[in-house]
Amino acid sequence: MTDDLLVTMEIPPDIAFARLLTAAAETLAARKGFGQRESLRFQLTVEEFFLCLVGLAEGDKPLRVVFTGKRHVLRLAFAFTATSLALGALNVTAGIAACADGEPSHDLGLLLAGKAADRFHLDHKGEKSFFLEAEVDRAYAPAPAVRVPAGLHGPYTVRPCLDPAQLAHGAALALAVYPVWHCPQSFRTPGKFADRVEDGQIACVAAYDAAGQLAGLLPWSPCSERALFFSGPFVFVPPDEAGAVAGLLVDGFIGAVGRGKYEIVLSFRATSDVPAEAFESLGCLDLYRDGACCPEPVLFRHLREDAGMAVWSRPALVDFLRDTYDRLAMPREILPVEASKGRERRASLLGCTLDRNRDLGELRPFLDGEDMADNLAAHVCALRDKGIVNILYYMDLSRPWEAALADDLLRAGFTPNVVLPHGGRGDLVVWQHGKSH
Amino acid sequence: MADAAIWSCGSMASLIDLVPDHVREFESYTPSRPDPVLMRQYGVSHLYRLNNNENALGPPPLARQAVAAYAPERAAIYPNGDAYDLRLALAARFGKSPDQFLVGNGSCEGIGSVVRAFCAQGDAIVTVDKTFAVYEWVARFTGIEPRLVPLRDHALDPGAMLAAATGRAKIIFVCNPNNPTGSWWNRQTLEAFLTALDGRAVVVLDEAYCEFIDDPDFPDGMEVLERHANVLVFRTFSKMYGLAGLRVGYLCGSLAAVDIVRRTQIAYSVNALGQMAATAALADDAEHIAATRRMVGEARGFLGGLFAAMGLEQVSGAGNYIMVRTPVSDTLLYRRLMREGVMVRTMTSFRFPNWIRVTLAREPAMEAFARAFRKVLDKP
Repeated sequence: MTDDLLVTMEIPPDIAFARLLTAAAETLAARKGFGQRESLRFQLTVEEFFLCLVGLAEGDKPLRVVFTGKRHVLRLAFAFTATSLALGALNVTAGIAACADGEPSHDLGLLLAGKAADRFHLDHKGEKSFFLEAEVDRAYAPAPAVRVPAGLHGPYTVRPCLDPAQLAHGAALALAVYPVWHCPQSFRTPGKFADRVEDGQIACVAAYDAAGQLAGLLPWSPCSERALFFSGPFVFVPPDEAGAVAGLLVDGFIGAVGRGKYEIVLSFRATSDVPAEAFESLGCLDLYRDGACCPEPVLFRHLREDAGMAVWSRPALVDFLRDTYDRLAMPREILPVEASKGRERRASLLGCTLDRNRDLGELRPFLDGEDMADNLAAHVCALRDKGIVNILYYMDLSRPWEAALADDLLRAGFTPNVVLPHGGRGDLVVWQHGKSH
Repeated sequence: MADAAIWSCGSMASLIDLVPDHVREFESYTPSRPDPVLMRQYGVSHLYRLNNNENALGPPPLARQAVAAYAPERAAIYPNGDAYDLRLALAARFGKSPDQFLVGNGSCEGIGSVVRAFCAQGDAIVTVDKTFAVYEWVARFTGIEPRLVPLRDHALDPGAMLAAATGRAKIIFVCNPNNPTGSWWNRQTLEAFLTALDGRAVVVLDEAYCEFIDDPDFPDGMEVLERHANVLVFRTFSKMYGLAGLRVGYLCGSLAAVDIVRRTQIAYSVNALGQMAATAALADDAEHIAATRRMVGEARGFLGGLFAAMGLEQVSGAGNYIMVRTPVSDTLLYRRLMREGVMVRTMTSFRFPNWIRVTLAREPAMEAFARAFRKVLDKP
């Protein structure tokens, strides 16, 4: 977006340049109006990741770094090469092990970086090339208490919504009306939701009544290069009109994205207002709330003909995939992949996000390692210790090394549940950890 | 899962930094896989292609002969660079100068040439939201604003299109008859539209399906362009003439207009076999056109009856296609029909979600479609 601030540098792998980077990070945070606390967290993230990557650098090849200052987030990105990448200390479970004896560990820097950032992501670009991104969020006020509008009356119309005040109001309304599971996390800080729309990360259509009052909302954002993830439709009209407004919102959504670059739309946060005929079912997530199982449907819809693709699978997953693809009438060539043997590094790395409001933990594999089975178990244990009941794991079937982890997942108590077509670089299998039930 | 932003994974300086925004945002079109691949994917031994409005009767007899007589050695020789013989044949057929014709690799090439010829950055084209997508696509990846006017009752709305043709709108695309709705402007509507426009913009009259219409009230673009120098007529050999595999289309306009478009048209883009077959096709098309119209009429009646009996909304005007609103997602229906060996066109990308378009073809194909359609909708 036009008001993004970008700082791009090529830095020699020399710790003497750390100060240069933190100064740039501080300036960027200040210019984008971030508070002292976020600025310091961003500087810490930058410094510690840089120091870590200097230690991994090969020869004098410079590190390429990009800082991006957006309205709602500060982001750093490193592109680097490494022969042996050991980032085990970035696991959320690593804190206890690294500092168990009370002595600073050599992994302490990574530990700090991982904790200072709100999230990070590691992508293996092939061979020795990696891409690391980390983000620090702006602090926003929580959603205010709002009252559902009364006296809305048709005819209702749907159009794209860009007005920050209306977006924030719509987010707060949805949060007030719908169960927390169905609401995107950003609805809890409506200002952030509006800023992400302004930034182009989220798009949405809104329904308006005859007087121009907000009557509904349907937001979406990319979840992969080929797929959009939507939430809603959120409808604020009386029940007898809810179906019609929901239909208008879905039509507006499909109309807006139908001729675009994306091939498919997905959701496991669709509300009960969604028109039954508008989407297909991929299955259900068996979520537990207050001790009871609440199946949440996972919906999708292609935007164009499915061209088919190849996916990798371990034998243990083949029957599940065959049944799924057969039910969906979706052509996929299932290619066998061998179990990992002689893994190239000791420590694996899992991305972990936590959503206490939804009682949800989500795991993604970033790096394979000899300790993957133990690491999975440790993550499950850590999430359970935090009281998280619902644990999901995402496996991208376009990556052989990810598909090869199926046996580890089964042993760790995960069960394949649904397939999200094009949900990642290829199809994504959503695994659920089932032992808590 | 979607709360987390999609990670850019490669947004560092790279090839993409060299790409203009309007190209960066544009996704390349993915055509369907070759038939043998599709048949293997969907486990069928035969595939009825009802997705591209191809002519099930194939090309006219003389065009077939031209293709059969093509000597393989001639493949080593470049084609004529501007389809000289074909333009002579077109000129004779329509009573015009050969220089009023430009032949392209399908009419899509002509669309690109016209946009390049008349539009610069900041200009706009006007088209409708639910029509042949290439007008909008070419505009978008050329950095030109596409102004999309909603259809009204499944037809192009002349008043709304005129209202959109303001400021830097340089070209108006009128698909007549419209693909996929089959609606068309009659003589009076088109004439009133052109009169009101008063030459403020170029009008591309896309008549890809005009040969399927025998209504005397259908306006003949070749005649219209004689009165309106801003009209360019597009036609193709891919539909009625059954030469889709050879990719030959053409445009016709005033000498001045065509001279301008020629400047942005790539020469040598039409292959020699296509030029020969198209030239031959023009020479004996009367019986072929009559037979095709009979086939299309019968198929329209058959499928129209099927959809009516099933209580499904349908839209069917001119052209060799029919649209039907489906009770399930169009893309789901596509996959299920593919498993029955029938390929249709999903309409979500035409902004008709949950509609499919079916090519009107020969009886066996229509019956196969009907069987499969009933089966996958569980309405035997």
